[in-house]
Amino acid sequence: MVNLTIDNRQVTAPRNATIYEAAKINGIHIPILCHDNKLKPFGACRMCLVEVEQMKGRQIPACTTPVTEGMIVTTSTPDIIKARKLVLELLLLNHPLDCPVCDKGGDCDLQNLSYDYKISSNRFHDQKFQHKIDYNNPLIERDMNRCILCGKCVRICDEIVSFGALTFIGRGIETKIGCEFDEALNCEFCGSCVSVCPVGALLARPFKFKARFWAMEKKRSICGYCGTGCNLTLGVKEGKVLTTVYDENQGFHRGQLCVRGRFGYQFINNEKRLKKPLIRKNGALVECGWDEALQLAASKIRNGSETAAIATPRLTNEEFFLFRKLMKGIGSENFDHAAGYAHKALTSGFARSLGSAASTAMVNDIQKSDMLLVIKTDSYETHPVIGFEINIAVKDKGVKLNIVSDKNGKLGKLPGARTFVHLPGSETLLINALCSSVIKQKLVSSTAASLPDFKEYAKGIEAFSPEKAASLCGISPEEINSLAADFASSKKAMILFPTGVAYPGHDSELATALANLAILAGKVEGEGCGLLCLPEKNNSQGAVDTGFYPTGKGLDALSVFDAIEDGRIKTLFLAGENPVVSYPDEARIKRALEKLDFLVLTTLFPTETAEYADLVLPASSYAEKEGTFTSAGGHVQYFAPVIPKAGDSRTDFEIISSLIKLTGGEAASNPSEIFAEIASTLDGYAGMTYENLGENGAFTAVKTRPALILPQTQAPALRKPEEFSLVTGALLYHNGTLSQFGEGPMHVSPESYAEISRKDASRLGIKENDTITLTSDSGSMQLAARVSLRIPEGVVFIPNHFSANPVNAIWSGKPVTPVALSR
Amino acid sequence: MSEAVEQREEEQTEEIDLEPANRVIDKFIDMPGNLMPVLQGVQDEYGYIPRIAADLIAERLNVYPSQIYGVLTFYAQFHLKPRGRFIIRVCVGTACHVQGATRIVETFYDKLGIGHAETTPDLRYTFEKVACLGACGMAPLAMVNDATYGSMTVQKVEEIINDYNQRPLKSGK
Repeated sequence: MVNLTIDNRQVTAPRNATIYEAAKINGIHIPILCHDNKLKPFGACRMCLVEVEQMKGRQIPACTTPVTEGMIVTTSTPDIIKARKLVLELLLLNHPLDCPVCDKGGDCDLQNLSYDYKISSNRFHDQKFQHKIDYNNPLIERDMNRCILCGKCVRICDEIVSFGALTFIGRGIETKIGCEFDEALNCEFCGSCVSVCPVGALLARPFKFKARFWAMEKKRSICGYCGTGCNLTLGVKEGKVLTTVYDENQGFHRGQLCVRGRFGYQFINNEKRLKKPLIRKNGALVECGWDEALQLAASKIRNGSETAAIATPRLTNEEFFLFRKLMKGIGSENFDHAAGYAHKALTSGFARSLGSAASTAMVNDIQKSDMLLVIKTDSYETHPVIGFEINIAVKDKGVKLNIVSDKNGKLGKLPGARTFVHLPGSETLLINALCSSVIKQKLVSSTAASLPDFKEYAKGIEAFSPEKAASLCGISPEEINSLAADFASSKKAMILFPTGVAYPGHDSELATALANLAILAGKVEGEGCGLLCLPEKNNSQGAVDTGFYPTGKGLDALSVFDAIEDGRIKTLFLAGENPVVSYPDEARIKRALEKLDFLVLTTLFPTETAEYADLVLPASSYAEKEGTFTSAGGHVQYFAPVIPKAGDSRTDFEIISSLIKLTGGEAASNPSEIFAEIASTLDGYAGMTYENLGENGAFTAVKTRPALILPQTQAPALRKPEEFSLVTGALLYHNGTLSQFGEGPMHVSPESYAEISRKDASRLGIKENDTITLTSDSGSMQLAARVSLRIPEGVVFIPNHFSANPVNAIWSGKPVTPVALSR
Repeated sequence: MSEAVEQREEEQTEEIDLEPANRVIDKFIDMPGNLMPVLQGVQDEYGYIPRIAADLIAERLNVYPSQIYGVLTFYAQFHLKPRGRFIIRVCVGTACHVQGATRIVETFYDKLGIGHAETTPDLRYTFEKVACLGACGMAPLAMVNDATYGSMTVQKVEEIINDYNQRPLKSGK
């Protein structure tokens, strides 16, 4: 720490702090336009000028000057005020005074500073800029006439998003911010640039003319899309969520959001939301009262042995806990979530290899590590904000990045990153080969070598030597050895891998193989070390923690559909799931749903699955309820409702609670009591309460008991030359099927497509957007082709989010589905 | 060469041979701070920075295309459009102005059919007005590439153009 004096106050600050940061830590405000706590100092705006006695009273920028011992700083003197006024006058010379119609009004740093410094007139005169406003995309409006050239947008797009869409064009008075060759903005549309813009030069188009900033209440919540657990501040007016508001101090991600977090909120107030329960009468769904609906549901599910339940991992911990209680109460063990296989990496893989169904690393380990091993470049698409953490780790902290993936992707472009592109479906085999190589190169940690099962494992894994595995996974033995050595010899190393319905290959076997690698290399625990499973949905980890999956003789989600077909299950309770679109083999799912005696569904929207339901119960979104979500790395966070419930909708908590009572059980009637029960039953949650979770949440305690287990590894079936390997996955713009009801994501990514390599495209004479036909054993579908650079030959990638023309018409749910492709 | 650039190469209307650009990049690829020398080298080869070359540089040096465009527009030395084989500069600084530079400029406009900072369609000439060439004693002054022509007259403009019209369009390279 350094001691210095700011405005006659003795203060201390960290050694590497700037004067601006030192002042901020000590509650002293210095005006600034070009600073954000995530970005490196830049010194563009000259608003933060201060005087330092040791520098002979010169005015220096506080944001770029580091503190030194004994420094005497004055942040406000008549001379400094004069200088700041001049800066503002010069900025206002070109900045248009269209504040009455500017959406930034009330939240504009330039407006606020002009007010603070009483800039009521200007000594200078000049023309305003006449730049053309960029309206070429539906999400971000770029009005360079309002730009003050602080460079925050350029820097955030480079330093954190690592896309680099924006730059300073030209120089001097003619400088402006733009894209390469002054083209229209065409980027990931995460809106980070919008969030940091101090003026109205970059605006969120969906929020244009929706509300004045000061007319909205700003309410904290947790993002309801992926498993990252980003914090949100929602702008709420008259019971509607109108926008997301940036807060640079919020969450581990410091307010940083991805496209769906920032622009995907519209599903909450979507007009298509169901407002009343619907009951099937004479073949049609008609509105009914809650009493009638709940009585009917209760009477149907009462026979537990013939009842199954499948839930979306978007429910709260409290809801899952209660749901499990309901199922146990009616005597059913058949409850599951996430298609039954998407959680197996945790519930089966980690559970047997590490002793608990939880990650051993946390998100904030990423920047503290020395090396990251990322399974699939898709990690950026599935969990974009964790992708930003990886960007910062690699670019700013010098963390090494190695990726094993079945395709190339954006993460691979980071400086020094190596991508090992393997044959589709050979993940587990390749990881086994890495394990074998670690043993061969004698890089095994002493703890691993002393494990009782080490000898047997070492013998078994010999079958996967790099030489034997090379041809099966498409990576040379030299590369395998070098990656294994790199991982094992790094002081700290971490493994990240996404799971989800679209990634059937990321199963218990892969999780076990990865755990083995971490165990062998001695990287299971500790700062910057460990395994981090990135689960697909906002509460996937919570669903696992609360035990909402079958154990013993209970049926898993996909087995439930088998059991329906052979008549063992007659009643199905779906909470939020939309299996018709998201589960493998659409035809089979539909067949089973048709055969059911009774299907009850809680849902926000009239989905494709609702068409098969006998009873549809309108549920509430995360913005309308209270509870906790547990995100990647076991981060438990509390959120409160921000708006009233849509129409007559009820939370799944209320619905399940009523059903428990109607089926003769007893249950607490509010989430906080259930959370207390969770805290007292689940070891990981011991001691947690809503009060002590506070704004930062808490991390679940994880006890590890490493064991080396040889995973069951199947060599990927060799592809016939005329066939393609279909792999599914996530897009940056979507998460599950929910984001289809958010306007923002649908603006930039409205429909499905089939992505193929350039070589295959030219061989088959396929051009971008040509309609191609894909046929597998289970069906056939037509999609627009996307010709891409990142897909290897013989592979076709189709996203799994879209209800219109869903991929499950042809997708088997195996890691790789062989398909025929024709024009 | 990367596929991204290959793809753009297919899409481009005029053929640009990227071999010289690749050669320049090869030379500097491992040098820290190589963007400026690469851009200068590539401009030496083509006379300007073609879009496809900028993409190639972005791809091979792993720099954002936007960043390259930022550098290209910051420095006056880089050109984004093809330049003439012969760059004609006429001084319009104070001394030359007094000596009648305006008429010299207008005569060039007239004879070449192009204006300031423009290039003839056959890529033979690029014309530029400049503020001062630092040889006021020779006013009015013109330069063609590195050759200097002092005490310019309307007659001399015609002679210069006739002379350069005879010269080969391709440089020695």
